[in-house]
Amino acid sequence: MYGNTGKIIVVDLTTGKIEIASLPETDYLSYIGGSGLAARYFWERGNFQADPLSAEAMLIFMNGPFAGLKLSGASRSSVAGRSPLTGNWGDSSCGGYFAPELRYAGFDGIVLTGKAEKPSLLVIEDNAVCIESAEDYWGKGIESVNRSLKDKFGKTWRNLIIGPAGENQVKYALILNEAHHAFGRAGFGAVMGSKNLKAIVVKASTKTMTLADPEAFETLRKELNPRIKEALASDVMRVNGTAANLEGGVYSGDVPIRNFTSNFWQEMAESLTGSTLSEKYLTHGGACAYCTIACKRNVRITEGIFAIPDGPGPEYETIVSLGSLIGSMDLAAVCKAGRICNDLGLDTITTGATIAWAMEAFEKGDITAADTDGISLIWGDMETVIDVLIPAIAARTGKLGRLLADGSAAAARRIGKGSSDYTAHAKGLEVPAHDPRGGGHGLALTYAISPRGACHVAFPMLFMEMGACYYPEIGFEYELEPKTDENKAEAAVIAVALGSIENSACFCQFADREITIPEWVALFNTVAGYGWDIDAMMLAGKRVFYLKRLINYRFGRTAADDTLTPRMLEPARDGEPEGIAINLDAMKAAFYRLMEMDPIQGIPTQSALIACGMAEEFEHI
Amino acid sequence: MEYWKNENEPIQAFVKLFEAAMIDDELTSGLKKVNQLILFDYTEDGPNCCFWMDCRGGNLSVGPGKPSEEPDMTMSLSADDAHRSWSNKLNPVMAITRKKIRVKGSAVGLLKLAPKLKKVAEIYAVILKDLGWEDKILK
Ligand code: SF4
Repeated sequence: MYGNTGKIIVVDLTTGKIEIASLPETDYLSYIGGSGLAARYFWERGNFQADPLSAEAMLIFMNGPFAGLKLSGASRSSVAGRSPLTGNWGDSSCGGYFAPELRYAGFDGIVLTGKAEKPSLLVIEDNAVCIESAEDYWGKGIESVNRSLKDKFGKTWRNLIIGPAGENQVKYALILNEAHHAFGRAGFGAVMGSKNLKAIVVKASTKTMTLADPEAFETLRKELNPRIKEALASDVMRVNGTAANLEGGVYSGDVPIRNFTSNFWQEMAESLTGSTLSEKYLTHGGACAYCTIACKRNVRITEGIFAIPDGPGPEYETIVSLGSLIGSMDLAAVCKAGRICNDLGLDTITTGATIAWAMEAFEKGDITAADTDGISLIWGDMETVIDVLIPAIAARTGKLGRLLADGSAAAARRIGKGSSDYTAHAKGLEVPAHDPRGGGHGLALTYAISPRGACHVAFPMLFMEMGACYYPEIGFEYELEPKTDENKAEAAVIAVALGSIENSACFCQFADREITIPEWVALFNTVAGYGWDIDAMMLAGKRVFYLKRLINYRFGRTAADDTLTPRMLEPARDGEPEGIAINLDAMKAAFYRLMEMDPIQGIPTQSALIACGMAEEFEHI
Repeated sequence: MEYWKNENEPIQAFVKLFEAAMIDDELTSGLKKVNQLILFDYTEDGPNCCFWMDCRGGNLSVGPGKPSEEPDMTMSLSADDAHRSWSNKLNPVMAITRKKIRVKGSAVGLLKLAPKLKKVAEIYAVILKDLGWEDKILK
């Protein structure tokens, strides 16, 4: 096998049994790697009946074929399994430094089942894998555990750590690498916590890899890295981070405000934008392994009640979710709230969205002081958010902490009174910081049909509607108008295949925009020797999407679940998209037709599956 | 060229546009934040078809032709696409992706103008009208 190692670590935490297993090359050819390969593994060996937080649940970490190859943006990895937040298939992508080290150690992935008797630590040093006690770290924040692990094992050991939120099985707990880079979405920190696994550490002594055509790959790499580095968007993000164009987003109505009740807030635009963060608080940038874009932020706030020492700073999603979405334009407060979420191990997107829902519910009187232990929930009250709400959620303490720790959809179900109508999610996963009414109606479609729920990075629709995609080789020449449904189903057909390829290859969407379709094919062929042409590659992407849809179907999800909440389908109330509503049903109907999917079951037809070489999968449903 | 009779027309319109923008309350602060010397290069439509805008150090000035100093950023496109762009009828991201706009140097400063393109287009329509070129206004 080239590129990939073909080997994974399989751990049963109940028995302590550790195996090194081999995956067949056909699985890589069919499902690429990353979340696609994880889906394939789950499809074959996962327990579809298991509660995501039970010992029987499976947690899968999987690299893509390019991890460790010194190619910008290509060393991310996926975590996957059944999401405790949504009950659906879930996957989440993380940059940072874990994936290359695992690859150098000789593995493409780690599969965990069972539950350790005591808080545990999985230690991987080259081929040697063992479980150690993590009792000293349990209950501690991610920052301090990161320091302790670096002290104990050495600075060059890489880690994945959960915080107290994961230990307490908050359903949107995250997993952090190096206390900075997040597997943020879908709650896999809670799954790790349910298994009593506090952290994983890895170290490799060599960096040997065998590629199908090393010279051809090197030529390609030398061409792509400078191109990615010098791209206009890369330069902008290097200077001002992923929030570089937040201000522009506010003017187009893309930035959600106060639980999606508004699409325009002029004063906030400049207060929260990336250049303001750079001017006021940035100490230095940062990057994931081998990435020449370096969009990451490190910030320090020296004075005031939101002072924080130098350390990881917020990216766009965090700035909006813990800023405008909850009615704040105080950037210092956002930085501190983001830092605390990281340390306690909470996904900032769902945290912000759940708090935003609660603030609106409190304003409407749907939840009262009796539900909140007397705490008032007021838009923009960041002291309460930072000092009371976030810690209570992470610890699951008090009425409010317990109410909000399962996410907005569950909280609204518990409260009733029509409060589900103003949650903002798809399939239980909260909508990220791009309001499709302003950002683009195609985004609403892909939020709805995405297997994991509302997600802006599952597929590159956001970039397509922005105008950042042009792929004539696969028929993407659309000049999309964001605030209409025109050609969105057609674009989504390409987006789901391409996004599935990106996420299975574990490539950062900021970096891979610079890669042409023929270059994608060449990367797979020179690294992994897949021997693909464009059609074969696109088919693999489609196959990954189909498989995730089939998994969800086995979890009981159908086309009826491919929707957005009433709040998201209301016409925008103000700003540039004022009065515009999204025609989701028409886009969905067209998408199912073009994707050869049953519009009731929400899964591909038998003939579509057979055409993708998935006849066997059809037998299981 | 679809919209212009000669290479002087677009430059006349664009320089006037930015002379007006530079005294507009809403745009002045945004332009100052650009903080760069920019060359707008339309020389594919004529050797003198270009203008510069200097937003450095809190001062704003604009003029036809090439600047006397090396620009921090050069934006090259056709005069027709520039007309569409200042009329807010050209998606700049799409134009860059499809190589209709080519940028040399950093676009960090220019991003500050992105939210103001609607306002720029409003002023541009007035300028075209003043020049007696109402027929050029894109609806
Ligand atoms: S662009 Fe940013 S998020 Fe993506 S790989 Fe590079 S540093 Fe990481």
